[in-house]
Amino acid sequence: MNRKRALISDTFKVKKSRNGPEKFGVVCNGNGPVDVKSSLEYLMTLFPRKLFNDALPTIVLKHQLYSLHNDKTLVDKEVNKLREQAELLMFQLGFDTEAFGLTFISDYKAKVLAGQEGKVTRATVERFLEKLLTSSCTDLSFSKEKMLREFLFTDSEITQLVKSGVLTVRDAGSWWLSIPNSGKFTKYFIQGRKAVLGMVKKSKYSEVLQAELEERRTIAQVKFNMKYHIHDIVGADLVESIPTTSGALLRFVES
Amino acid sequence: MLGFLTARQAGLDDPLRLRRAESTRRVFGLELNPDRDVDRIHGNGINTIDIEAVEGRYMLSGGSDGIIVVYDLENYSGKPQYTCKAVCTVGRSSRYVHKFSVETVQWYPYDTGMFVSSSFDKTMKVWDTETLKPAEVFEFEGNVYSHHLSPIARKHSLIAVGTKYPKVQLCDLKSGSRSHVLQGHRAEVLSVRWSPRYEHILATASADSKVKVWDVRRASGSLLDLDQHKGDKSKASTEAVNTAHNGRVNGLCFTGDGLYILTTGTDDRMRLWNSATGENTLVNYGKVCNESRKKLQFAVSRGCSPEFVFVPCGSSVAVYALHTGELVTMLRGHYNNVDCCEFHPDYQELYSGGKDCNILAWVPVLHASAVEDESNSSNKDAASQPSVNPALQDAWSSDED
Repeated sequence: MNRKRALISDTFKVKKSRNGPEKFGVVCNGNGPVDVKSSLEYLMTLFPRKLFNDALPTIVLKHQLYSLHNDKTLVDKEVNKLREQAELLMFQLGFDTEAFGLTFISDYKAKVLAGQEGKVTRATVERFLEKLLTSSCTDLSFSKEKMLREFLFTDSEITQLVKSGVLTVRDAGSWWLSIPNSGKFTKYFIQGRKAVLGMVKKSKYSEVLQAELEERRTIAQVKFNMKYHIHDIVGADLVESIPTTSGALLRFVES
Repeated sequence: MLGFLTARQAGLDDPLRLRRAESTRRVFGLELNPDRDVDRIHGNGINTIDIEAVEGRYMLSGGSDGIIVVYDLENYSGKPQYTCKAVCTVGRSSRYVHKFSVETVQWYPYDTGMFVSSSFDKTMKVWDTETLKPAEVFEFEGNVYSHHLSPIARKHSLIAVGTKYPKVQLCDLKSGSRSHVLQGHRAEVLSVRWSPRYEHILATASADSKVKVWDVRRASGSLLDLDQHKGDKSKASTEAVNTAHNGRVNGLCFTGDGLYILTTGTDDRMRLWNSATGENTLVNYGKVCNESRKKLQFAVSRGCSPEFVFVPCGSSVAVYALHTGELVTMLRGHYNNVDCCEFHPDYQELYSGGKDCNILAWVPVLHASAVEDESNSSNKDAASQPSVNPALQDAWSSDED
């Protein structure tokens, strides 16, 4: 859009950068359009596939994107756009009302079907995934009438879906969409998060340089890549990321 | 800035644009100023402040000790160094003072002859400012958390009162009696606000996580419940109920034009809603720390572009851009929790009060020239006058006459 006159909000950039346009220590994405898809792909590379014997699709948490981009509202909008374009799936992970997991739909489909090889429930699961792709990629949960009427599943088929792990019970008559065998992921994730937060908290003044934290020997509890956890705790506002001359500093946030 | 001035001069731009640009620039420069001070009268924390709407000259504050103080904000001394003096107080020696902490004070919207205060001693008093005696006392069954008079009402003079009981009481100022009750909440009502756009629309926030919007003329119940998941039932943890937050909703504010509602809750989130449809605009402000068990008073700027929200966050005040959700800055200066803040739209100043018994004035600081002027003038006259703003200096009269 070609504007003849500048917007008032553009003249006064919302963040006053007193030290010039380069922010030392922090890798920022500048003022270009927010490219959420490439950040998602970068975060997906940090996910450890081998740990789960390749049975799980790569899961990224939505708040990890907040640590890479400044504008949370724009990130949310882009994620919703990708979900509507049937490229991304969002899940309620269960341990926190605000923690949403994201996977690429092609990846999810491939892994789920691979896991269903040779099982009785395979046909039902395939049908469910087809329905998911076509109609409601944006739903996090399904209620009973929806399953019966729109998707034309019978009660026994719903039980099969729950058994296969694609649906988990939410309350009587409704189910969350879920990833089969993701229990291990949640367990390791929470353990790792607690351990990394403990490392930051125990440091002198409860703060650690990000580069130093990445260098540290990962203790047995932390099974994921350290960077994956760092993006998680920064994005969830559990630590504050402060730019310094020696790089980003992570300071524990008391709550 | 020069671009705006030239455009205004040439008539290319509307006069309003220059005014908004300057207001926005001043809000960016908000800082604690050693020159501006507010008299310290309260012995205990300050719960609420209100600046009158007519002239913006007088400010009311209510404290945890039950004391109410009126301050004069105007600076007529000509010097930049100024302390806002207390004009009068309803102190502990007064016969009519509130017994327990004053939770909300508000000036009568049309003149400063009257103000209303409500407190944890279960009463709401309407005071005459001249004599400092209550003209009317309304009694309630539970602690009064919040009350509000509509700033634009012409056809009614109702005060909406939120108390510990879930029913929202409406009291009539003209007749001195209760008018009616709005039923619908299930827990204590922490905050009530009238819309600045329509005189019959009221929004109430409650500890049961719901925010309801009412039309007071309608007998049957609330118009809308604000729903944080925007109707997307799949995100809520239970299907049944529309909640605005995942915890108690303790702050409620309309924007200046009445088109949006802002709410804060103890789930550490702040949400922006479209006031006409009740839709969540899904602006993500991040984590807005909120531990208050009572109501939180926060303010939205008026006359700037983009608009800013000033919200107390622990012991500092966080400034967010309203529609993008970006954190502009944190104003640090209080020694303890900040409970309330109020924006002065004419001078773009922010006043905030907290548990450390101080009211701090955040004033836009734009001229860095004060330091150079002082060193020059101290050479000329022996510091007889502190440095005056060059725009106010006398450039007319001649020394000869």
